[in-house]
Amino acid sequence: MNYKYINSMLSKMDEDLSTKGMTRRDAMKLAGLSGASFMMGGSSLQAMEKDEKPISKSGVDAKIVIVGGGLAGMSTAARLTLNLKNPDITVIEPNKESVSYQPGQTLVAAGIWDANDISYKRDDFVPEGTKIIEDKVIDFDPMNNQVTTAKGQVIDYDYLIVATGLQLDFERIEGLEHAGRAYSTGDNSRLHKAIGEDSGICSIYTAEGATKTWEQMQKYIEKAKNAKNGEKVQFLFTHPGTPIKCGGAPKKIMYLTNARLKEAGARKNAELTMYPNGGTMFGIPEYHDAILEQFKREDFKWHYRHNLVGVEIENKIAIFDSQWQEKGPFDPVMKDFEVISKHEKIRVPYDFLHITPDAVAPREVAESDIGSAGGWVPVNKETLQHIKFKNVFSLGDIAQVPMGKTGGSVRKQYKVLVENLISHMEGKPLTSKYDGYTVCPLITDIGTVMLAEFDWSVRPTPSFPLDPLVERWVFWLMKVYALKPMTMYGMLSGKA
Amino acid sequence: MQVKFEFAIYDEALDKFELDENIYLYELDDEQKQTYDLLKSKDLHLYNFFQESEAFKKWIKEEVYPDEIGKKIAICDINEISFRRFYFFKVTSADTHYEYFKKLFNVLHESDWQNREDVGREILEHLLVKRQTLIIELKADILEEE
Repeated sequence: MNYKYINSMLSKMDEDLSTKGMTRRDAMKLAGLSGASFMMGGSSLQAMEKDEKPISKSGVDAKIVIVGGGLAGMSTAARLTLNLKNPDITVIEPNKESVSYQPGQTLVAAGIWDANDISYKRDDFVPEGTKIIEDKVIDFDPMNNQVTTAKGQVIDYDYLIVATGLQLDFERIEGLEHAGRAYSTGDNSRLHKAIGEDSGICSIYTAEGATKTWEQMQKYIEKAKNAKNGEKVQFLFTHPGTPIKCGGAPKKIMYLTNARLKEAGARKNAELTMYPNGGTMFGIPEYHDAILEQFKREDFKWHYRHNLVGVEIENKIAIFDSQWQEKGPFDPVMKDFEVISKHEKIRVPYDFLHITPDAVAPREVAESDIGSAGGWVPVNKETLQHIKFKNVFSLGDIAQVPMGKTGGSVRKQYKVLVENLISHMEGKPLTSKYDGYTVCPLITDIGTVMLAEFDWSVRPTPSFPLDPLVERWVFWLMKVYALKPMTMYGMLSGKA
Repeated sequence: MQVKFEFAIYDEALDKFELDENIYLYELDDEQKQTYDLLKSKDLHLYNFFQESEAFKKWIKEEVYPDEIGKKIAICDINEISFRRFYFFKVTSADTHYEYFKKLFNVLHESDWQNREDVGREILEHLLVKRQTLIIELKADILEEE
């Protein structure tokens, strides 16, 4: 790490901020990044604790069961223990590494971190007094306030928090039917057997897949380095037709592949193409425009409205469902032309194919009474209370909240949920509201990040008084150095 | 000033609207004209103004649909300002209507992953509720007690 460069960058940032009348510490505090001890100096976690208002703990007693012990479930458990005098909290989670740091998978896939940097053991983060059951819930019975686990335990609750996370639906892709459904962490050997060891197919959406992505990326960068006679190595990146974890991640891995190709001097022998299912690069118009400019600058190709539906592994062909719209007949009542949707399958050869799979709700949730028709847990998007069962709350990837499925969303949601759950337990109205805030540090190169922050307003909502559309080194530092400690030691202790 | 009105008739049993293809002319008084000019670019505010105007409702009851107490109607067009999309929206409707409702109902998406059919269905669910607020019921006048 070039500390001289960092220091000059920090000085530049200080200059920018001072024109807005802020110090770096104020800005970081505003962004809620007091865990960023790297930038602040000193023990900022202690400072954060000092800044926190004294908590008046609620004396209400109830048995709370949390299904899912990932970042959302464990952070919620931790915050509940801080806010209840006599916490009776049980977390049901089968995966020993459920709290592993998923946002780091992109960095592992680009060879910036290694697998050990993101692997964390669940049992090291269990809040004091919280009981862990290492099992999987396979049935929800909200009418009788019970859940049943795979090992046959029937567990009663007064209040239920659903934080199971989502599943990655690789088996939906023709040619990968044997891959099954995967979780981000845990044993995904079935998936990797179906993909093959050296097929050029990879996905950063699992921890193991991130390591394999780096292996494959290096191999095809080498191929590009040695390409002759104008041959171009084809790097394809997909974005599916469902909500996904971190909507920016498919682009991040594309940008990082581009950075590694440039570093190897092989960029001119490679073609990088994005196949998004939708018709834009990002749901927020300002970020869409900025990304499009970046795509043009980096000479990326893109084809909107293409959904990956199949792969021929042996022939190295990706099959996309290409969709478009045509002008239909005139509707005399509406006084306008109708829109006719059309589609056809197209076959695209690839060397390196990065798959972002469909994200789906686990079957045990989707098919139970607590799941909606779409599978996700239907909650009031502001209070996070189940729309039908008032003693059930949900957060994180499984909650039916129309906003990004990211750790940044969870960081806002878990505090709202705990406040509202305790209010409900005390018979008070639910006053805490999730404002839809989410954040996506969009890595655009090794060393630069555009910090995409937004909420229900679907407008950029920057925490820093800086132009949110500019790619900055400081946000790269934040992504690489500050966010992980804040997540692992701030959120998982229920404080940040 | 005269304003052109077109209406849709609401069939409660079928929860469906049918276009009344006639054009009706309504004379605005000076005060109404001022309000009309102020609200003509304000979409549903203009609708609400007429919906709440006693003089307007009286005109409908006496001249547009006389002797049809109990009938439920909705305004389709006021001059060139159209509200038809509320009653006749389909998933295949033109992009302008589709985008209008996405904004009106705050239908959010994270990265354009939702396809037209999904969003269209969501819009229709919202419309089931919204349409009810636009319906004008022709009620019998309440006789004032002496």
